[in-house]
Parts: sequence; C-alpha cells; structure tokens
Amino acid sequence: MATADEDIAPDGLLAARAGNGDRAAFAALVERHYDFIHRIAYRLTGRRADAEDVAQDVCVRLGRAVAGYRGGAAFTTWLYAIVLNAARDQMRRNARESVKAEAYGVQALVSAGAAEEPDDATEALWAAVRALPDKQREAVTLVYGEGLSHAQAADAMAVAEPTVSWHVHEAKKRLKALMRARAGEV
Amino acid sequence: MSEKDPFDMLRGGPAPRPREGARERALDAALRSYDENYSTAPQGTAKPARHTGRTTRFWRGFMQTRLSATPAIATLVALPVAGFAAWQLLGETRFGFERADVPAPSPIVETEAPRARQEQAASGQAPAETRVAEEGEASRSFPPQDQMAAQPNFATRQPDVVAAPSAATPRLMRSPTMAESKLMPLPAPEPMAGAEENRDRLQSFDTNPVRAALENPVSTFSIDVDTASYAFVRRSLKEGILPGADSVRVEEMINYFPYDWPGPQAVDTPFNSTISIMPTPWNEHTRLMHVAIKGYDVQPAQKPAANLVFLIDTSGSMNAADKLPLLKSAFWMLVNQLADTDTVSIVTYAGSAGTVLEPTKGSDKRKILEALDRLDAGGRTAGEEGIREAYRLAEQNFVKGGVNRIMLATDGDFNVGPSSDEELKKLVEDKRRSGVMLSVFGFGRGNLNDQLMQTIAQNGNGTAAYIDTLAEAEKVLVEEAGSTLFPIAKDVKIQVEFNPQKVSEYRLIGYETRALKREDFNNDRVDAGEIGSGHSVTAIYEITPKGSPAQVIDDLRYGEAGTNNAAGIANADEYAFVKIRYKLPDEDVSKLITTPVTAANEIASFDQASADQRFSVAVAAFGQKLRRTDATAGFDYDRIMQIATAARGSDPFGYRAEFLSLVRLASALDGGR
Repeated sequence: MATADEDIAPDGLLAARAGNGDRAAFAALVERHYDFIHRIAYRLTGRRADAEDVAQDVCVRLGRAVAGYRGGAAFTTWLYAIVLNAARDQMRRNARESVKAEAYGVQALVSAGAAEEPDDATEALWAAVRALPDKQREAVTLVYGEGLSHAQAADAMAVAEPTVSWHVHEAKKRLKALMRARAGEV
Repeated sequence: MSEKDPFDMLRGGPAPRPREGARERALDAALRSYDENYSTAPQGTAKPARHTGRTTRFWRGFMQTRLSATPAIATLVALPVAGFAAWQLLGETRFGFERADVPAPSPIVETEAPRARQEQAASGQAPAETRVAEEGEASRSFPPQDQMAAQPNFATRQPDVVAAPSAATPRLMRSPTMAESKLMPLPAPEPMAGAEENRDRLQSFDTNPVRAALENPVSTFSIDVDTASYAFVRRSLKEGILPGADSVRVEEMINYFPYDWPGPQAVDTPFNSTISIMPTPWNEHTRLMHVAIKGYDVQPAQKPAANLVFLIDTSGSMNAADKLPLLKSAFWMLVNQLADTDTVSIVTYAGSAGTVLEPTKGSDKRKILEALDRLDAGGRTAGEEGIREAYRLAEQNFVKGGVNRIMLATDGDFNVGPSSDEELKKLVEDKRRSGVMLSVFGFGRGNLNDQLMQTIAQNGNGTAAYIDTLAEAEKVLVEEAGSTLFPIAKDVKIQVEFNPQKVSEYRLIGYETRALKREDFNNDRVDAGEIGSGHSVTAIYEITPKGSPAQVIDDLRYGEAGTNNAAGIANADEYAFVKIRYKLPDEDVSKLITTPVTAANEIASFDQASADQRFSVAVAAFGQKLRRTDATAGFDYDRIMQIATAARGSDPFGYRAEFLSLVRLASALDGGR
C-alpha cells in the first residue's frame, strides 16, 4: 500500500515522504503540480519559452528543496514561493539580455511570442501587469490571477499581509493610469 | 466597467497548456535533481553505510527542521505557520547562493546513506545482514554489560554524532553549495549559522543485542524514568520527519505513559513490582517478560516542604516562542501548585549568572510570578556559574527531610564557560551528596544538548524531560509534580538472572544507555535512577524459551561444561530471578527485593494481559520500529495500532489517543511498512 496511493495521497504527505527519500512520491508530486507551476510561470513571464524554463528550474529546485518542506503551510503556498523566486530570477536574466525592453511598451512583441489573440483586452492587461515592478506584479498575479486572499499571498511572498494589500493598491493605481493612457491613444 | 473590479478579468487570463516535450524534460530534470540529493549507495557496504546513515540521517532530519521556532500555541495545534515566513526568507537566500553558473554538486556525504538504508529495509534478505552488522557494532563499541549509564562516555562517542558547534557541521552539510557560490556575496554568517544548522546533540547507542542465557545469564541496568525521548519523537513526527534512531530511547517512550500497576500498601516498602510472562505479539516463538514497578504514592498531606531553585537559561537563543515564553507558562503552572510553605528562588544565566528572585515563600505567589514575568532573553550562556549560584541558594535554604531541587531549564548548550562537560558533570556529582537534586527541562530545538541534559540529570539524581508544548509542560510539571518533586527511592537498579534451563536467549528492550556492569549491582557507590512518588517504571525482556525455533544463537557444543550456574539447575522451573536494589532517599545503604519468576507468572495469551500491559508492549513495539530494530521488522504499524487501540483504556488525559495519532503519522511517513 506504500506505493499504490501516490495518485490520491495529499500533497503534504507526498512531500513528507519525498523528503524522507521516497522517489515515487516525489515523482508523483512533481507530475501533479507541473501544470500549476507552468501556469503561474507563464502569467509572470508572459512567454512560452520563459514559462517552460522557469517551470523546469522550479522542478530542479524542488528536487533539492522538498526535504525542507515542513508541512507548516499548504504545499501549494510553499510552491508559489519557489515559483515566484524562479520567475524573478528568469526575469532578471532576461533583463540582462535586454529582453525586458519587450516587456515594457512594445506590447505587440510580447503578444506575438505567446498569445493566441493579441488584441484581447485580458492579454493586454496581463502585458501591463508584467510591466509592473517585481513585487507588484507578483501580488497582482497571486491575488487576481490565482484568486488567493491577501493573507495567502503574503505567506507565499514572505511579507506581511498589509504589504501585499499595499502592493496591490499601488499596482491598481498604475494599471488604471496605463489603461487610461492607452484608451486615450486609440 | 466601473461597477465591478476591472482586474477580475485577470483570473481567466490566457495560460497555454504546457507542451508535452517541455513537460517531460522538466520532470526528468526534477528526478535527476532529486536523485542527486538522494543518491543510491551500492549495497553490501552495510556496516559503514549504516553508520554514516544513522548519523547523517539524524542530521538531515534536523537540518530540515531548522527554525522550528513556532509559538507555543501554534505548536499545540501542530500548525507551525509562523515559522513559515522565516523559512521563506531562508529559502530565498539559499536559492540565492545556489545560483552559481556551475550547478552545485550534491552533498554526497549527507545523502547517500538514507537511500541505502531504505533499500535495505525494503529488500528481503537484508534483515539477516543487518542483524550481523548490528551485533558486530554492538560488540565493537561496547563490551557486553558495559557501563554506559554511569559514565555516558562523551570522549569516545562524541565525534560520531556531535559535530563541534560550528566547525564540523558546515563542513558536512553546507560547504558544497557555499563553495560554488562565486557570484553571490556570502550571506552574513551569524544569523544564518544560527538558523540553518541544527546542533541538537544526542548520544548515539546501539540497540541491545540478543544474548544467550548460558553465556550471559545476568542482565543489569539502572531504571530510567525520563520521558524526553518521547516528546522529541513526537515533535519530529508532527513535523513530518521520521525521528533519527539515536533520538529514540524505547524505555523512555514506554515510561512516558502513566500505568496503573499495583502499588505498595505502605510507605516502608517504597515500591512494588509485578512480573508477567506473556506471548510476544511480533514473534510467536518468543515470550515477553514484563517487569512493572510502581512507586508508593505519597498523599498530599504527607508531602514534605519543597525548596526549589529555578535555574533558567535566558541567553539570546531562548528568544523564540517555543522557548522562554513556553518556559514561563510552564513554571507559572508549577508555581500555582505550590504550598505556602514551599520556597522558590530564581537564578538566570546569560552573560553573567544572577539571582533574579531571592528565596521566596509559596505564600507570596504574586512576587514569584512577577519575577518570572520579568525574565528576558539576551546574551550568551554561562552555565557553570549559574549552576554554582543555584546550588548556593539551594544549600543556603536547605530543608532537612524536605525536597531540595534545582530545576534547570535550557534550550541547549548551557556550558559556554571555561569548564568542560566532564568538569560540569563532576560538579553535579559532588553537589548531589549535599542532598540537592537537579532536574533538567529541555526547550526548543536546533541546539538542544540532549546528551549533556541526560548526563546532568542522571548524575544530579534528577529527571530529564523535554517540553515542546504547553500540554507537555502541564504533564511534566503539574500532573507529575509529585513524582518529579518527591523521590521515594534512589539508586534503583535491576538485575535479572535468567535460567538457561528454561530460557535460551533474552533481549532487553531499551535501557541501552542505562546498562550497568554486573558487579555494579551490589556496589552502593554506583549511581542509578530514582523513583518518585507514584511513578511507574516498566522494563520488558523478549525471551526465547529453551527449545523454541526462534533461537538465533546456536547452542555451544561444550556449553554445559562452561556453565557455573548452579542456581539455575536447582530451581529448574524458574524462568528467571529478578533482584531490585534501592536506597531510601536519605539513606546510603541499599536494600534488596528479590522475586523468582515461575510458571505462576505466566499469562496464557497476549489478549489476557491487562490493558496497561498490552499498551506498554505496543509502545515498545513502536519504539523498536522507529529504531528499525530487526525483531519488529515484520510487525507492521497496523498491528501496533490494533493493540494500542484495544488497550487504550480510559485515557483521561488523552496521552494514548495522541500515541495512536503518532503511530498513524509514522506509518504514513514510513510508507506503511
């Protein structure tokens, strides 16, 4: 019965088993969460290639870090934190290669790299979100993109809850300004 | 658009399905990275691998739980959320310096063994091999009937487990990553070191081997009423980690639970022993010899006055929710139990030792509680100075015929002064003669010096307990205040002589760290454990009756010639002869109680044993499983659950219910094996 229940065992238990050296548990855990990781990575980076790189990076980090999961918080909250870190690193690498220029104003390029409907309002908004400073982008992604409460997002970002609220507030101010500006242009 | 939040549409934002190739690559990469951390060691190197395995498995276990600084209340509900944020910060930093361009090589020393161990446990033919290795190790590290208890030998065992506070540990655990972090500035070493290293120190020991009654008919040990190991195991399991073998002392797990053994009728016999022979649940061919001892329960009216000195570690490291705040709550509960005539003094040690509260009568509770409340953490630890000051106060206020006890509360190495552990032990031994006893209470985790705690408590005629939750504090300091505070017998030793005519082999379950030499039994100068008011102590032997197919050691061809055991032949019907030696608290000459174990002590089937007996056997089985003892390898957690559930009894404080939940946790963590 040790090996048969990987598909239904709760995350926390699988993680604890993986931490104690159970390879099958670890494999099941990563398999189960890959899509989840990929989704957040995509939302944060906005490009398919980056999302895949970040997701793979997260998987590698998990192999090393799973032993450190202590069951205190929900596994997904813990996982969010790792994805945020990995995505931040990826963005920094991109910035070094001066790819970040794309992410700023040149929305067309971003969309071409990924989205099926480049003119979609949602996609446009996401592009604007990606142009926000790191913490604001993360807060908006977790709160609006993932539907987390401010408290859960605070856990994942390792900051206090009011800090998340403030980041969200600042982000909304900026986004509204951006959207107004764009509406004016059209 | 203005009505609802315009940003809600982000929720349904596009996120393309991951491509199958990318997904597969990522999963492969994940497993490779995992395997690097849990790499497979070739089998067949059983002995060295096991050894490293045990040590590093232990370290790894605690490395994972660094920063278990969780609030007392949170610990109570087993939800250490608060530690999470801190962990997260750590995680970030750690990823930070792993981010070298060269991938960090996996720390091989740390991780190869656990995997090997698991495989060993899983493979069918391993047990025999393990058994051989185990016996080999046992005979190598200490000769039969060694004197572990009297002098827990720091000098010889220390290098194995006890990494010197900051030099050895990082070398073993961290430098592989550190060495590669060329791009990143190193994080400030001080806070990191404190947070990341686990420096819990435990004495390592080997499980008692099976002995042939013909060759070694006599088994001698000191009783042990400590409970620290159970609390330690519980905390580990609740954090999702199987405890390291060295943290599991089976006898302390058994003795954690209150049992209703028949007690003595009068004060002049301080305790009563009940001995039963019953079938072994995990082996149909062997029996258990169950020795249950119950101390006389002193009535509250007869309780002598107490002179207590709280010696409290207020070093900077105590500044965590599960340390000083928990400690304050614990002592608060104890103070509220005290009679008006009792006295309390408080000594703290941090930087320099100081008396915070001069001896104060129990009638002035408010003053004591206020002094407790003012305690604040900061500075380094100067343990020896603190202990001297505490003894001075205790002696100055000595109550003749009463209880004179120092209660030391610490989170770890309270000995940063100039003296060595050995000198500290001598100091405690010297002071014991003055009649002042010393008990040790461990708090927190990560820096806990279990080994020194045990030594000091054993040499100071006291108990050692580990307090991880408020409930545990209540159990140790309030409910058991009677037994912790009021000793009724000291230097209690047990010697069992087995009759080779009836018993071919025996094995003492637990008490490894309490073994005594055969000749020490009659030597009144050799220190041993204490029994407090109402305490119960249980020792279990697994015995193989003569002619049973379970016999693992071959008969000696010339065995009969070698036996000098005339008594065994004269009393051919006896299984064994149990001798208990003890001293009354204020006497120096020991007394002896002897009990022959005969067919009259037999219980036909395990189910006919009392609920308490069956429960204690379930705990013994659980402890042995956690230690990966060979005897219980084929006995699964479900059976332990069944026995413990059936034997749960009234369980007024819920201790047994908690035990059941721990068995479930261990079963899940261990993959149901």
